[in-house]
Amino acid sequence: MALMFTSTPSIRKAVGLINEVDQGKFPLVVSRILQKLHLKDERTFSEDEEEKLQGTLGMSGPDLELLLQTLEFFLQQSAYHTAKPAALSQQLSQLGMDQDKVDTIVESWTTKGREVIQNLRQRALMPNQLTDINWRLNLQMAQSMETKQKLPNAMFELGVHREGQEDKEKIRMEFTHDELYQFYNQLETIQKQIDGLS
Amino acid sequence: MSIIQVTGSGKSAVSDRTPFYGARVPTEVKSMIKPLTKLEKGVFRKILLLIVTAIEGKNVEYKQIKDLETKDFQEETLCVIYSGLLKLLQCALKLPNGSLKQELFKEDLLELQIPEDFHTDISSVIFGNRRAGIDSECLKSRPRLPQVDQLKWRVDVGISTSVLNRVLEPSVLMEMTLTDGNIHTFEVPVSKFHELRYNVAYVLKEMEDLEKRNILKIKD
Repeated sequence: MALMFTSTPSIRKAVGLINEVDQGKFPLVVSRILQKLHLKDERTFSEDEEEKLQGTLGMSGPDLELLLQTLEFFLQQSAYHTAKPAALSQQLSQLGMDQDKVDTIVESWTTKGREVIQNLRQRALMPNQLTDINWRLNLQMAQSMETKQKLPNAMFELGVHREGQEDKEKIRMEFTHDELYQFYNQLETIQKQIDGLS
Repeated sequence: MSIIQVTGSGKSAVSDRTPFYGARVPTEVKSMIKPLTKLEKGVFRKILLLIVTAIEGKNVEYKQIKDLETKDFQEETLCVIYSGLLKLLQCALKLPNGSLKQELFKEDLLELQIPEDFHTDISSVIFGNRRAGIDSECLKSRPRLPQVDQLKWRVDVGISTSVLNRVLEPSVLMEMTLTDGNIHTFEVPVSKFHELRYNVAYVLKEMEDLEKRNILKIKD
């Protein structure tokens, strides 16, 4: 297993700070970081929460920041390399972390790690994502030029969510029986390709 | 109690069905009857041809009607005849192909006092081989939401990202061009793609069921 962490001065300082943290509060901090790890551009703790943490853990602002950043770094690296708990445990101990802190981190990782990796896997770079699929089946009975018809019609509304914008873009389209069949064939071709991958 | 039988204007004995143009004779048709009786067959045929071209969706210029002007027939009269004939044909074309029977149609034309010479020509428009073209034009011109003109797609497998060394997660990228010109590009995660496929298949099945049920239930 590749070495995930090299022992730099800042890491050594952070490990020292971690060792000083009250054992009661430590697991909560770790699990909170794990929860927010897969979200893009979101701070784990809001500014108010960070101030409160400074009080409860008895640390100054810069120290707290170093602590949180290093913890996030440890967990991000574990996710990147898909670290096994044993390897993680060993490497953290090598950095000089106290055994009970190591155990806390490894325990959280064992329970929530899989989920975090799964979420990270599904993070997409493309801003437009298909989110909704709605449809309606109609039977056209008449139009201005011709009455007494029986023309089936399907309307589809695809909701595309653009990252960073609140509202969804709705793509509306209509199909007759033949058009829908063609569309379906195209989807089947795509499906065959996906099946071929696995 | 006695049953009184009411006969029509002397020509048809059975007047209790609605003619193809509706309960009342349309005004355009009424006003064209008189000039129509004096019209020559050649000019009539040309006007009819213009009307059919117009119904099939192609452009008809006013100049073409003006050219048919002779000393007997002013522009205005020609216009009256044109609009009357157009209205007549539109009413007849409104009913789908199998619905209107040719004999009944001819009876109605007689009722309207349209000269019998013109009956064959008018009937050939409604029942002849140009009807298919007119029907397809009718379908094309109905109001519709945009349709999918072109679908370009691509299946990607992410191998590695900045946050994860081994991803191996497939995803589909679609670029849909609609008939109104808009191009929509979006990514579809595999789970959503399955949902899309399921929905399309479901609608397709529902449509087929509807068509099967339809033929039995709704009759003309």
